[in-house]
Amino acid sequence: MKGLSSLERIVLDSINKNQLTYNEVLNQSGLHENVCFNILQAMVIRGILSTDGVRYRVSENLSPMIHEELNGLEARQAECLELIEAVVDQKAPRIFRFQKIAMDERDEKIFNAMLTNLEMFLVDAHKKAQTSVPMKSRKVVFWGVGEVQSLMKQIVQGGAV
Amino acid sequence: MSLQKKTLHRYRQFFPNETLREVSARTGIQITRVFRLFNGKTMKVGELEAFESAVSLKIAENPSFARLTEVLDEASAVLTNEELSKVADYISRKVLSRTYSRLYIRSQIENAIIA
Repeated sequence: MKGLSSLERIVLDSINKNQLTYNEVLNQSGLHENVCFNILQAMVIRGILSTDGVRYRVSENLSPMIHEELNGLEARQAECLELIEAVVDQKAPRIFRFQKIAMDERDEKIFNAMLTNLEMFLVDAHKKAQTSVPMKSRKVVFWGVGEVQSLMKQIVQGGAV
Repeated sequence: MSLQKKTLHRYRQFFPNETLREVSARTGIQITRVFRLFNGKTMKVGELEAFESAVSLKIAENPSFARLTEVLDEASAVLTNEELSKVADYISRKVLSRTYSRLYIRSQIENAIIA
């Protein structure tokens, strides 16, 4: 498997640039204790994390190959899909809208401007709260737009066109 | 990996937390013999069949498995290498996430310390 699973990414993001104990990782990630422990052990074995027996931190001097494996485009795409699928499968309370919208050129420009505003708002919100809100309470937000014809073409051809 | 090791590994994937007593009850093999088999003693054909049959019965509980193997056969003939890689990656991710929640490494370590 390329990259990290969403569970592994949550653990990695929870630790980030800090040195955390098992209980702190547990608190940040919100994972079940066995799952969290197993992931930490697996990542230590893979050399992504290192530990002194008490605290866990991201290994220094990760090789460019491992960096590419963790943060490469394909790996991130697969991670995105995993989380989007989880949101789609989520039972209530859930916010998810998916529609094919007819939009003229003018409205498309307005829509793009609104997306830019939304993105700026999210960046600010994240900056403001990133130290106080633990990883487990953060929100997964995503959006995307595609034109039906090119998407269908892509699906038929079985890859990006 | 030998056929015996593969069979035991596969059995453990389906029944990860079973005790030797439970394995014995499920397969009909004596508990001391089960212990020896898990420690590398060579299996008899009948014992191999007992493990295979336990796995087959477990698979039969899940009718989607037959569909999955059917679809994978078809996919290997029709999809491109890139698409197959995506499907394999998707399944691997599902398996990995489930494996993390199924393996009770910590409990096992604690049990070993207590023992």
